Amino acid sequence: MLANQNKCLYNKHMFELQASLNLQDKLHILADAAKYDVACTSSGADRRGKKGMLGNAKACGICHTFASDGRCISLLKILMTNHCIYDCRYCINRSSNDIERATFSPTEICELTIEFYKRNYIEGLFLSSGVLKNPTYTMERMCETLALLRGKYRFNGYIHIKTIPGASDELIAMAGLLADRISINMELPTEESLKSLAPNKSFSSIITPMAKVSNTIASSRMSLGKTARMERSSSNRFLSDSIFSNRDNSIEASRNEIIDGNSGHTLADSSLSVKEDAIVKGAGTLDLSVIRDTGVSQDFIDKRRFASAGQSTQMIIGASGETDYTLINTTQKLYQSFDLKRVFYSAYIPINEDSALPALGTPPPLLREHRLYQADWLLRFYGFTADELLSEDKPNFNEKLDPKCDWAVRHLDIFPIEVQTASYDLILRVPGIGPKSAMRIINARRFGKLDYESLKKMGVVLKRAHYFITCGGRMMFRIPIEEGYITRQLTDMNTKENWQVCHVSQYRQLSLFEDFGVS
Amino acid sequence: MRVFTCGNSFEDKMTCIYDAWEYALLHGHNNVRLMVEPVCQYSFAEEYVHVDVDAEKTNKVVRSIINSISYEAYLNVFYSTLFYEDTLDDIYRFLIVAFKVGSGVMRMLTDKAVMRIMEYRRKVGNEIHFSHEFIRFNSIDNKVYVAHYEPKCDIIYMTAMHFADRMPSECFVIIDDNRQYAVVHPADEDMYITELTDEYMLKLKETEYVNDEYRSLWKEFFNSIGIKERENYKCQRNMFPIWMRKHAVEFLD
Repeated sequence: MLANQNKCLYNKHMFELQASLNLQDKLHILADAAKYDVACTSSGADRRGKKGMLGNAKACGICHTFASDGRCISLLKILMTNHCIYDCRYCINRSSNDIERATFSPTEICELTIEFYKRNYIEGLFLSSGVLKNPTYTMERMCETLALLRGKYRFNGYIHIKTIPGASDELIAMAGLLADRISINMELPTEESLKSLAPNKSFSSIITPMAKVSNTIASSRMSLGKTARMERSSSNRFLSDSIFSNRDNSIEASRNEIIDGNSGHTLADSSLSVKEDAIVKGAGTLDLSVIRDTGVSQDFIDKRRFASAGQSTQMIIGASGETDYTLINTTQKLYQSFDLKRVFYSAYIPINEDSALPALGTPPPLLREHRLYQADWLLRFYGFTADELLSEDKPNFNEKLDPKCDWAVRHLDIFPIEVQTASYDLILRVPGIGPKSAMRIINARRFGKLDYESLKKMGVVLKRAHYFITCGGRMMFRIPIEEGYITRQLTDMNTKENWQVCHVSQYRQLSLFEDFGVS
Repeated sequence: MRVFTCGNSFEDKMTCIYDAWEYALLHGHNNVRLMVEPVCQYSFAEEYVHVDVDAEKTNKVVRSIINSISYEAYLNVFYSTLFYEDTLDDIYRFLIVAFKVGSGVMRMLTDKAVMRIMEYRRKVGNEIHFSHEFIRFNSIDNKVYVAHYEPKCDIIYMTAMHFADRMPSECFVIIDDNRQYAVVHPADEDMYITELTDEYMLKLKETEYVNDEYRSLWKEFFNSIGIKERENYKCQRNMFPIWMRKHAVEFLD
């Protein structure tokens, strides 16, 4: 704390009176402080339970309940502490904010996790933290908590840990071995916005550990006889040019570009660029052999894969001026070069009064966040690339139309396609058809003729798909294949949904019983 | 037309299929119908035959489904028997197609009989997944964990399998309130399924109201984690429908 004394502001609440807070108060403060973290998934790790231990993990992930904002609650999402020496402008827990502060002890976190888990309230623990004293001290306490949970409490369920920027390699290695998923928050996709909004963090303090973790995951996977890259949705196997399949070409291309002295390549937006492959290559791996004396049995440690559910990150949407194109391009690069399992977006909610940020009371850009997630899915499951969805000339998503429909109406030259004969990757590009229904179509058409009735039963959303397909040579209705017409039809259909995403909870239906007291 | 009727267990249903098939070999599949008892309305034009459970016939049916069709088809048939409506005749119609086609049958989604079975499996499978998500245990003196729930389909054993893997060294009981079944899992031992009498049910009802300190902590967490600016109760109801919330601690007062 002393080392950073001149860096930060302290206020009276920074020094809490621990004695006056009971467990319930602490849980209230620290769950409330953690709610802006978005990732709450428990998917990706699959392991069976063991006698004498508590817990297993399912690859599909299990949501245990849904909060009032409709987001799933899968993990016990808490901060270890909301004390923070950093003063990131967008964050509720920044050091210059006058808020209630609290700190969990490692035992308290373990007890809560174990007891909640036994009652089937949660799927595991999501542990993040403000920076207490300094990054190393904070990370040590977090690792201590995980070691206690895995060791003394014999917990075998899912754990997601956020690393603190600036923590040492040994601590990140230990965190990765004890947890299932490890994540380093990117927060902002470009160096400039990070500089202006998070003055205590630097781009390299985020990118370098991310690259190291990525390499360590790859080497740990290979030592256990798996592929170096994380498993992806099975539909990617059948796609020839998804972001995961042309990996070798892109490495080759970017290497050549680096060799050519970056001719013609500008780092205009100073976001991640072709050089990230070089960053990943140069970063090296974490040394996992240093992990000793954790209180967890060595056998347990040896058998574990480093971060078996991979690594993820999150970015804030709408706090700085990035375009969707920058965001989605960055996302794609993170998937390709750093082999992240997920990238999360969080619509910025104005909680701090600050000249560099949107004013208090500005509604969070929920529809934009929704569009970005839709695009993220198109990248990971549908074989789209960022450049197909957006371009320099058209850097933002269409508010009225989802990205897949938007792409489809711009490419009417390939539509309508015949579902009886079209290839899998083409069927997957039709709005209203997903990986599951596309696979069902492929399977079913080998045995018999399809018709619209059976397509509907297979899960195709015909209200969107019927503009783009023929079945047995016929379209469902007589309609002109015309960009203007189809766009009008599709936007008209989506108006209500979009309006609802934008105006969540601002308006409501008056009720005779509640508002006028009729009984 | 001859109608074969049987009890509600998996073995009953498989025996019924065996007997019906045997009769149909002489008289044709179209002259056979299968039904689960009780039969509410008899028809004059039909002849009703009750089938008693027979272990050997059950094994024969299961074995030939696995060997001549596929293990996947067997799973589909098994899940369909757990469905809350009478699916027996649909299973029979599916098997007629399946024995003709062989292992590729689950891909024939254009066939109505196959599609029906796939839908049953999807519905039962989804409900099993929901039960993993939404059942809640209540701790009785930190020794036994008791969960009540009211699934539509008869999935209690499938639910319990998940928790037996998850908490092998805990004692827990899962109770299906509607069917009055319970699965009992003693610590480090095999679990078993048992029928409950009304008297037991009344006693076990009380376990739901035992005051457990972690219930209030969980409610505290649940209420703190929602973001007010993003409030969206419609989405919440889509994801966690009200009819499933009957035993979810965070929605009870």
